Amino acid sequence: MSGVVGAVLQVIVIAVGSPLLVGVMRQVRARLEGRAGAGIAQPWRDLRKLMRKEAIAPHGTGWVFRAAPPLLAGTALVVAAVVPLVTTASPLDGVADLFAVTALLALGSVALALAALDTGTAFGGMGASREMTVLALVEPTILVSIFALSIRVGSTSLGSIVTATVEDPLSVISPVSVLAAVALAIVTIAETGRIPVDNPSTHLELTMIHEAMVLEYAGPDLALIEWASAMRLSVLLGLLASLFFPLGISGASTGALALLVSVIALVVKVTLMGALLAAGEVFMAKLRLFRVPELLAGSFLLALLAVAASFFLA
Amino acid sequence: MNLVGTLFVVALSGCAVAAVAAVLAPPRARLRLAGWCTAGAGAVGAAAGVAAVMADGMTSGVSAGAGQRWSAWLPELLPLAGVRLAIDPLGGVFIAVTGVVAVCAAIYGIGYCSHGLDGRAFQLVLPLFVAAMLVVPAAASVSTFLLAWELMAISSLLLVLAEHRRRAAVGRAGLWYAVMTHFGLVTILIGLVAFAAGAGGESFEQLRAAALSPAAKTVVFLATLAGFASKAGIVPLHVWLPRAHPEAPSHVSALMSAAMVNMGAYGIIRIGLDLLGGGPAWWWLLVLGLGAASALFGILQAVVASDLKRLLGYSTTENLGLVLVGVGAAGFFAASRLPVPAALALAAALLHVVNHAAFKTVLFLAAGSVLHATGTRDLDALGGLRTRLPYTTAAFAVGALCASALPPGNAFVSEWLLLQSLIHALPGSGVAGAVTMPLAVAVIALSAGLAVATFVKAFGVGFLARPRSAPAERARESPPAMLGAMALAVAGCAALALAPTLVVPALGRAVGVVFPGREVVSGELTLRLTGVAGMISPLLIAVTLVAAASIVLGLVRVSATRRARRAARLWDCGAGPISARMEYTATSFAEPLERVFDDVLAPESDVDVTPMKESAYLVERVRFHARVPDRIEHRLYDPLIAAVSAVGRGARALATGSVHRYLGYGFWALTAALIVLVVTW
Amino acid sequence: MGVNMTDAMYVQLLDLACGAFLLTGVLVLWRRELSAIVWLFALQGVALTALIVVLGSWQADLELILVGAGVGALRAGLLPYLMRRALVAGGEGRETQPLVNVATSLVVAAVLAMLAYALSQPLVRLSPTPATQAVPVALTVLLIGFFVLVTRRRALSQLVGFLLMDNAITATAFLTTSGVPLVVELGISLDLLLAVLVLQVLTTRMRAAFGGTDLDELRELHD
Repeated sequence: MSGVVGAVLQVIVIAVGSPLLVGVMRQVRARLEGRAGAGIAQPWRDLRKLMRKEAIAPHGTGWVFRAAPPLLAGTALVVAAVVPLVTTASPLDGVADLFAVTALLALGSVALALAALDTGTAFGGMGASREMTVLALVEPTILVSIFALSIRVGSTSLGSIVTATVEDPLSVISPVSVLAAVALAIVTIAETGRIPVDNPSTHLELTMIHEAMVLEYAGPDLALIEWASAMRLSVLLGLLASLFFPLGISGASTGALALLVSVIALVVKVTLMGALLAAGEVFMAKLRLFRVPELLAGSFLLALLAVAASFFLA
Repeated sequence: MNLVGTLFVVALSGCAVAAVAAVLAPPRARLRLAGWCTAGAGAVGAAAGVAAVMADGMTSGVSAGAGQRWSAWLPELLPLAGVRLAIDPLGGVFIAVTGVVAVCAAIYGIGYCSHGLDGRAFQLVLPLFVAAMLVVPAAASVSTFLLAWELMAISSLLLVLAEHRRRAAVGRAGLWYAVMTHFGLVTILIGLVAFAAGAGGESFEQLRAAALSPAAKTVVFLATLAGFASKAGIVPLHVWLPRAHPEAPSHVSALMSAAMVNMGAYGIIRIGLDLLGGGPAWWWLLVLGLGAASALFGILQAVVASDLKRLLGYSTTENLGLVLVGVGAAGFFAASRLPVPAALALAAALLHVVNHAAFKTVLFLAAGSVLHATGTRDLDALGGLRTRLPYTTAAFAVGALCASALPPGNAFVSEWLLLQSLIHALPGSGVAGAVTMPLAVAVIALSAGLAVATFVKAFGVGFLARPRSAPAERARESPPAMLGAMALAVAGCAALALAPTLVVPALGRAVGVVFPGREVVSGELTLRLTGVAGMISPLLIAVTLVAAASIVLGLVRVSATRRARRAARLWDCGAGPISARMEYTATSFAEPLERVFDDVLAPESDVDVTPMKESAYLVERVRFHARVPDRIEHRLYDPLIAAVSAVGRGARALATGSVHRYLGYGFWALTAALIVLVVTW
Repeated sequence: MGVNMTDAMYVQLLDLACGAFLLTGVLVLWRRELSAIVWLFALQGVALTALIVVLGSWQADLELILVGAGVGALRAGLLPYLMRRALVAGGEGRETQPLVNVATSLVVAAVLAMLAYALSQPLVRLSPTPATQAVPVALTVLLIGFFVLVTRRRALSQLVGFLLMDNAITATAFLTTSGVPLVVELGISLDLLLAVLVLQVLTTRMRAAFGGTDLDELRELHD
């Protein structure tokens, strides 16, 4: 029972908290750059404003364009329910494993890329093409990292991997985990479109990936996309935290208090990681698009070394 | 004769009736009569295949390796050897796949062939091709197998050549195909004849019981592998595939790509795993390596292709590559004494064969519908078909989703199974496994990622946005027969995607033919691996996804204050309306990937500047050509062809035109042979 | 000293040191700035020192620990210092155009790692201790160093490639045997120092003569 409650809780925490995470990250960035910042609730205020505007159907777009935002948000919600953030005993744990989670996130990106192509503008095509390039190159890193993480447990089920780490927290301080963690962190940055792969705040056509894809959206559609992007970011950060620092996650049979503690632990961990990411972004510039493959090849190498280390050093 | 046998014979008779109808029926009724007969034969054939896998026959009670078996020996049908047939669950899977694809293709053909393809010859050959493909997995002796194989090759060649009067490219494609398929036939012939000679008999049972020396086994395996790989479109013998598939009529492409290439995989499984009984690990590492190379090379070529059917053809190379990765992994695990991952890998390979057949049928049929409506296969000239061909677009969308291995598509399930088998093999598979498995996982991952990009390109550029040329603007939806066939194939995809739990246990029985043992997976809603940890539920994923998306939509409905959508102009940077020429094309979509994989693809581009007559500084015309040639063809086949033609030119000196000289050659050859006989005997 | 180290902790420390050793080697391949490469080389020296010290304290061998300290002083201190001086004198900051581009060389490194693993299995099987099991790591760095030596154009990054190889050889020596005699280690270290000094002089001369250290351009001297 606590599994179901935990799963519902984590979906709610992600759904409500992810815009706040984006707010925190912007605030950290603003402060580090010497600005006052708009406050951490600004993304929610933006969403509210967008919801009040009317939706737009640009000329020549069709069902693909309309279906993409809810599908993107839907995949993010399903992933939020599957991934062990608050509890390792999500009722959906047997339904989808780490491979399925990756594929679901990719499905969201694909929906958005198709919508971008549907507009028929050069921006849309450019964004879609770049997004798909990054997605294709990220895939090997993700799957090989999953391989590395699953060797110790003998399963790709997220619940089992995290439970094993909870039971033996020191196993994280091994080359396997460290290499896989770095590889997955790079992948997370690439998947969520942060610096140095993409710049979430740019509106300069030649450099953007994600923003180019959503250029034609407005009103509630845009609100959904912004919300979904925030959810993807928080879920992926939460997943990283759970895989490599699963402190405070509840197991199968825990009480209400333990669940509350888990929620607080999740919020603290994800906020910290978000703040760290934002602080790191201040000191970094966006990579040229054709330098991104180098970064991803590097992360692939680290992931492969993680697999190798698991039998080099075992 | 049991159920399987009866159904199989009925199916073959159906093909014969279709062939006769094609010849005798009046032109107006010919298409329908032949088409429906072929479709019926396909359906019955599929039923025979399914019965061979599912029905509990004499060996009922044993969970794996059960299913009804049927065998027959018809000594009078063929002089000397006779025809020997036997259907077991492994053959049954391939028969069932062929049957279902044949149903879709035949119904589709009724609508598709009405313009120019309704001649006697074409309609006669199609059922024969289907019959040959039904017989190949049922053949149980070397002579029957080779006969069916050659019938399959020749009939498919004739079908590829169907439109040779309309386009010159068809003839060239046919030539490539003829050479490659006969190269394959020759190597298979050498391999199987050597095998039969060593075994002292040509029926598969005798071959199975034969005790050959390891060296002889290796020769047999390598020879047959080369032949089967060329049929399956495996690198470097794939060159015929991206030529023949685009030039063949679309339903023939579907038959070839979804059913015929599978026979290559079938051959490797049957000869390598079943008749030769496994073998050393390096055989299977070779198969795995070939598969991995094909998967990567195929999808890389597909991602930069802008011809829709060529793209699909390269995607076939990729998918058969993945199948061979599974087959190779299965053989390798079996050689390393890991029965559980071996069975899992083979089940994954078979499931991928089935899934690939389903989505590739949809995709080729939809591509044919586009070709029918617009007359072009060039993605750069398509676009905007969403409003003009709504059903075709929907079908292609389903096929593309399935082909890109994303949930809730069907290829996701088979790639998931394949990855699971690779991951769970690691502890026990030794150094070779420890080195190979991570690389294999990486290859599968990269090819899956690139497949996503490929099909986003094919669907997004080809069907969405606005038309990029006049023919695309004038496109009309296809006739009902074609739509019905596509709907059937889409239903197959959906069933495979949502209920793999019905299919995979049946495939477990086919695996049981090669690796007798326990079942591979269990569970009704959730696919649960037995023997190792791992489960997934495609159906529940789809259901939760739909539920989540509906919740989101509901939330938006509740919270949005203004319901109506307002039509608006696209953002054009304030420079006036956007024209179709400003759209991203397939070539531009693939450009970043082309650049990233520059070293592998070696794209070519050149700029032609024609100056004006008056002055070299005034430019009259600038032309830019960019193309990505098939590098293997370029590097391997071009020198080979050059060498062969050099030999041919050299040999011209032997033929001067003098009759006496030619007769003289014959005389001297005969005498020399006689002298050799006298000396050696 | 260090005798009260537990088994598990020893293995974990050893593995971490090896992981750091490998990671710095890989990063040399990744980065283009020559100053970053020199930094990474220094860090690898630290990892190597840590490796030797961990081994020494596990075996409670004071001599080994001292050798480790000496190795550290040379490879994390003196050599990077010399290289940085050469760098400052030169003013060429980047490895502009390696013969094999960075993304490809990273993928090649992945394959080299697998090769190293397969190669070292017979060695590991001879005496499967935690130390010998880390030999593939050292072998990987050896191959990566060789690859850097082959594919980089700047004299300095080639030098780092050469030194990576030497680091790897040292690591292999310490991982497989229970230690190298002090004299041998001293000899190797002096050789290294000499090589670096000679190269430093050479780069300065080259720059004075040709205005760059792209070794491919030396080919033109031939004509």
